[in-house]
Amino acid sequence: MNASPSNSSDKTSDAAMSRRSFLRGAAAFGGLTALAASLAPLLKLHEFTSTEEFLQKYYKEMTPDDMARVLRRITAEVEREYGVRPHVRDLKPMDGVEFIYALNLTRCIGCRKCVHACVAENNPSLNPEIQYIRVLKMPHGSMDVEKGDHTYADKEVPEKGFFYMPVQCQQCKNPPCVKVCPVNATWQEKDGITVIDYDWCIGCRYCEAACPYWARRFNFTKPEIPKDRLNPDMAYLGNRPRKQGVMEKCHFCIQRTRVGRYPACLEACPVGARKFGNILDPESEVSYILREKRVFIQLKEEMGTSPRFFYYFDK
Amino acid sequence: MEPISAHASARLRTRTRVVLGGLAVLFFGMSVLFFLNLWGRTGPQPAIPPVDLRFLDTSPWRRTYADLVKAREDLSDYDCYACHDKAKPPVLRFDSGHRLLVPQEHANIVMGHGSHDRNNLCYNCHNEPNLATLQVRDGRELGFDNIPPLCGSCHGPTYRDWEAGAHGRTGGYWDRSKGAATRLSCANCHNPHSPRIPAREPAPGPHALRTAGPPPLPGGLLR
Repeated sequence: MNASPSNSSDKTSDAAMSRRSFLRGAAAFGGLTALAASLAPLLKLHEFTSTEEFLQKYYKEMTPDDMARVLRRITAEVEREYGVRPHVRDLKPMDGVEFIYALNLTRCIGCRKCVHACVAENNPSLNPEIQYIRVLKMPHGSMDVEKGDHTYADKEVPEKGFFYMPVQCQQCKNPPCVKVCPVNATWQEKDGITVIDYDWCIGCRYCEAACPYWARRFNFTKPEIPKDRLNPDMAYLGNRPRKQGVMEKCHFCIQRTRVGRYPACLEACPVGARKFGNILDPESEVSYILREKRVFIQLKEEMGTSPRFFYYFDK
Repeated sequence: MEPISAHASARLRTRTRVVLGGLAVLFFGMSVLFFLNLWGRTGPQPAIPPVDLRFLDTSPWRRTYADLVKAREDLSDYDCYACHDKAKPPVLRFDSGHRLLVPQEHANIVMGHGSHDRNNLCYNCHNEPNLATLQVRDGRELGFDNIPPLCGSCHGPTYRDWEAGAHGRTGGYWDRSKGAATRLSCANCHNPHSPRIPAREPAPGPHALRTAGPPPLPGGLLR
C-alpha cells in the first residue's frame, strides 16, 4: 500500500461529502433504523406463540398423540405463567347427549351471581374485564332487548316493575357465528355446544359481528387473571387461558358438563332459575320443563338461529 | 422559458429556507409537546378489582332443621316444651284486623305468608297437640326435617316441579350415572313464616371502560 491512493481516497471522500451524499446516507440510515424498529416486535414473538403452537395441527385432524403433546405444552405454559399446575383435558362430546338450557324468568332476581360464578370458573380476563353473561334489566311487558339495561347498579334487586334476563351464548342449532368463520376455528359439536379452538382462531371477529346475541368476546389485550383466581380444572375447548387476539364465549362449561356436572352459573343461581340437562333424556329436568311449562321464548326467534337456550315463565 | 434573474432566484431560495426552517421548528416543537404530554392524555385505566368473594358463595341462604341435626348443632330453639306446657297448647291471639299477634317470646318471627299475610294461623302447619312436630291438614304428622310434603299440600304444582327438579336449586351432577345431584329443601331458600324471597344486593355489574379514569398524567396545559 502506498500513500497516494489513500490520499486520493481522502480527497474523494472529502469531495463526496456533498449535500447529496449526506442526504442519501442519512436517508439510508433512517430507513434502516425504521425497518429495524418495525421488526422489533418479532423479538417478542416467543411471548405470543411458540414454534410448537405455530406448527400445531387443526383440532379435528389431531391424533391422540398430537393432542397429548398439545396438552403437555398447555400445562407447561400455564404453570410457567401462573405458577399453578393445571389439569387440562380434551373432553369429547358424550353419545346420546344434547344439552339444553332453560331459564325461568319468573324466578330470576338479577343478583348477577351467575356472572361472577362464570368468571371464577372459566378464566376470562379480569382486566380488561370479560364476562360471558349479561343480565338485562327489562321493564315489564316487553321482550325487546333494546330496552334492557345491563349496567344497573341498584342497591337491591329485584326492583318492582322490572324483570331480569341473563343473556349468554345461546348455543344455536343454526349458528351464524360458525358460518362466517374463515378458518373453521369455531364449530358446533354433536352435543350442541359451539366451541372455539383458541389456537386456531385468527381474531378476525367476524363471528362477533355475526352473533345476534352479543355473546362473543374478544381479547383485545393479553388477558390478566390473578393467580389466586385461576381455575386449574381446564379443558382444551373450554376454560384454558386464552391469549391476546382470540375470541371466546360461553361453552356451557365444557370442563364440567362433559364429565356430567352442572354448569357453574346454574350451581351459583340462588333462586334455582337456571336449569340444564340432556334433552334426549325424557327423565331430565329440561325435558320435564319443555313438556310441562307453557311460555317459551327463544331470543330473537325470527332470526332462525334456533337457540338451545329457552326462557320460560312459571305461571 | 425566460431565464430567472439572479435577484429572483435569491429571493426564491430565501423563501424556501424560511418555509423549510419554519416547518422544522414546528415539527420539533410538536414533538416536544408530545413528549412532555402537555395536553394531558389519560394514563392507563385503573385495575379492575376481582369481585368480592361473598358473591362467589354458593351455599344455601338458610339452614333447615335437618342441616342443624346433620351438623350436630344447638337445637334448643326447637325444644318447644322447655317453655310450653304439654297439656296446654298455646292460644292464638289476633288484633281487630285479624292479624296474628306474635308473642314477645317469638318476636324473631315475622309473619308474611300468603297474599295479604292471610296464612297466619300457626296450627295450619304446626301440630297443636304436639308442638315438636308439624301436621298436614289431612292429619299426617311430619317431623321438622321433612317439610316438603307439608308445603306441597298447598303448593301442589310447585311441589310437583320440585320433585321433578324444575323448582329450586340443584347442583352436583346432571348425569346421575356419574354422581349425585344435590337438592335443597323448601326452607333452605324460603322462610316458612314469610316465604317471599327478600330483595338483596346485586353483585357488581360490568365496569364501563373510559368513564372514570384516573387523573391525567402531569401536564395538561393545553386542556
